[in-house]
Amino acid sequence: MNFDVVLNNLPYLLWGAWPQGPIGGAALTVWLSLLSGVASAVIGLVLGIWLYMSRGAVHSVLILFLGFFRAIPVLMLIFWTYFLLPVVLGFSVPELTTVVCALALIGGAYLAHSVAAGLRSVGGGQWEAGISLGLGRWRVLWLIVLPQSLRRMAPSFVNQWISLIKDTSLAYVIGVPELSFVATQVNNRAMVYPAEIFLFVAFVYFVICGVLDLVATAIAGEAEPEARTRSV
Amino acid sequence: MSLAAFGLAPIYVEWLLWGFAVTLLLSASACVAATLGGVLLCAARISPLAVLHVPARIYLGVFRNTPLLVQIFFWYFAGSAIFPTPLLDWFNNPHTVVLGFGGQTWLSFRLPSFEFWAGFTALTFYTTAFIAEEFRAGLRAVPAGQREGGLSLGLSPALVFFLVVVPQAARHAFAPLLGQYMNAVKNSSLTMAIGVAELSYASRQVETETFQTFEAFGIATVLYILAVAVIEGTGELVQRRREKKYGRGALS
Repeated sequence: MNFDVVLNNLPYLLWGAWPQGPIGGAALTVWLSLLSGVASAVIGLVLGIWLYMSRGAVHSVLILFLGFFRAIPVLMLIFWTYFLLPVVLGFSVPELTTVVCALALIGGAYLAHSVAAGLRSVGGGQWEAGISLGLGRWRVLWLIVLPQSLRRMAPSFVNQWISLIKDTSLAYVIGVPELSFVATQVNNRAMVYPAEIFLFVAFVYFVICGVLDLVATAIAGEAEPEARTRSV
Repeated sequence: MSLAAFGLAPIYVEWLLWGFAVTLLLSASACVAATLGGVLLCAARISPLAVLHVPARIYLGVFRNTPLLVQIFFWYFAGSAIFPTPLLDWFNNPHTVVLGFGGQTWLSFRLPSFEFWAGFTALTFYTTAFIAEEFRAGLRAVPAGQREGGLSLGLSPALVFFLVVVPQAARHAFAPLLGQYMNAVKNSSLTMAIGVAELSYASRQVETETFQTFEAFGIATVLYILAVAVIEGTGELVQRRREKKYGRGALS
C-alpha cells in the first residue's frame, strides 16, 4: 500500500481545481448531496401528502407516476434529464442541474411512499378529534397529523439521503467533476496504485454518510430507544 | 419478424436487446451469488461469537455506505492486484462455451470479458450486504413467543431455529428480497462505466450512432420497467398462492 498518490493529489480530490477553477471533488459531492437532499425532501413531502389525501383516478395516476421513477435506474433518469431538460426548457442547462433534478425526482418518489405510510400510521382517532373540533381536513393534517408522523418518517429520510449521497457518484457519467470523477482522472493520470485511490475515495464517502447518520441519530435522540437496543 | 421499433433500424434494436440480455445475465448471476452470500453474512452477523459478528458488522458498514460506482472502479482497476493469478488468467482469456447435443450446436457464446467479471464481483459484494440485512430483518420479525413455544415443546435451540423461526422469517423476508433483486437489475446499469455492454451502455451507443435519443432511451427504459415488473409480478403471484393456502392475512 502506497498512499503517496492520494497525498499528492489530496487538494484536487477534496475540492477540485478551486480556487483557480470551479469547485469539484468531495466538496462538490457534498454540495450535490445537499441540493438534491433538500429538493427530494420537498418533492417527497408534497407527493406523499398528495398520495395520502387523494382518491380515485388521481391516486392511481400518482401511483403509476411514482412507480415509473422507482422502476428505472438512476442512470437512465440522468440520461433522460440530460437530454430532455434543455428540450423542454428551451435553453442549455448545466450538468449539475440535470443531476440534481434526476436525484431529487428519484429520491422524492421513494420518500413519497414513506411519507404516505407515516401519515397512515397516525391513528384515525386523531383525525376524528380534529374534525370534531371543527377544523378542516387540511388544517387537521397540518396541525395534528403531520407533526406526529414526521418523527416516524425520520429514519426513512435519513436512509434515502444516504442513498442520495451514494448516487451523486453517478454524476460521473455526464462529466460533473465530483469525487468519483476526479478520482478516475487522478487514476488515469497516475496509472499506479488504483487500489489506494479508490479505497481513499470510498473512505471519504463512508465518512460523509457516517456524519449524516451520526447527526441524524443525535437529533433523533432518545425518540425510540427500544428500536436500538433490540438485537437479532 | 421485423425488429424495427419506434422508427429505430433493426440492427440498433438488436444492439439494445443484446444489452438487455447482458443486463439480465449479470443481474441474475449476481442475485444468485448474493443470496448465498447474504445467508452466510446474516449468519455471521447474528452469531454470538465476536470473531464472526465483528467482521460482519464491518462488512455491512463498508459496503452499504460507499457508492457502488466506486466499488466497481475498485474491482476493475485494482482487480489485477487482488484476484488470484490463475483466476485473472482465466478472466482475461476468452472462452467459448458451446452448448450442444449429438454434434449439433444449439448455442455457442463467448464467455464474458474481464469487465463483466469485475462488474459481477462488485454487484455481488454490494447486493450481499443488503440481502443479509433483509434476512436479519426477517428473523427479527418472528415474534419471540414462537421461539419460546418451540423450546417449551422440548426442541433444542438449533431445531427451534431451523424448524420454527427460519420458515417464518423466510416468508417475512421474501418481498424485501425481491425488492433487492429489482435493485440489482437497476444497479447493474452502473457497470457501463467500466465498459460492460449492458442495456444502458447499449442505449448510449445507439444514441451516439443514430442521434435518435428518444427512441434509444425509450426502448431501454421500457425494457428496465419490463424486468422490474416481471419480478414484481412474481412476488404478487407467490403472495396470492400463499393467501389461498393459508388464508388471507396469513404471514405476509
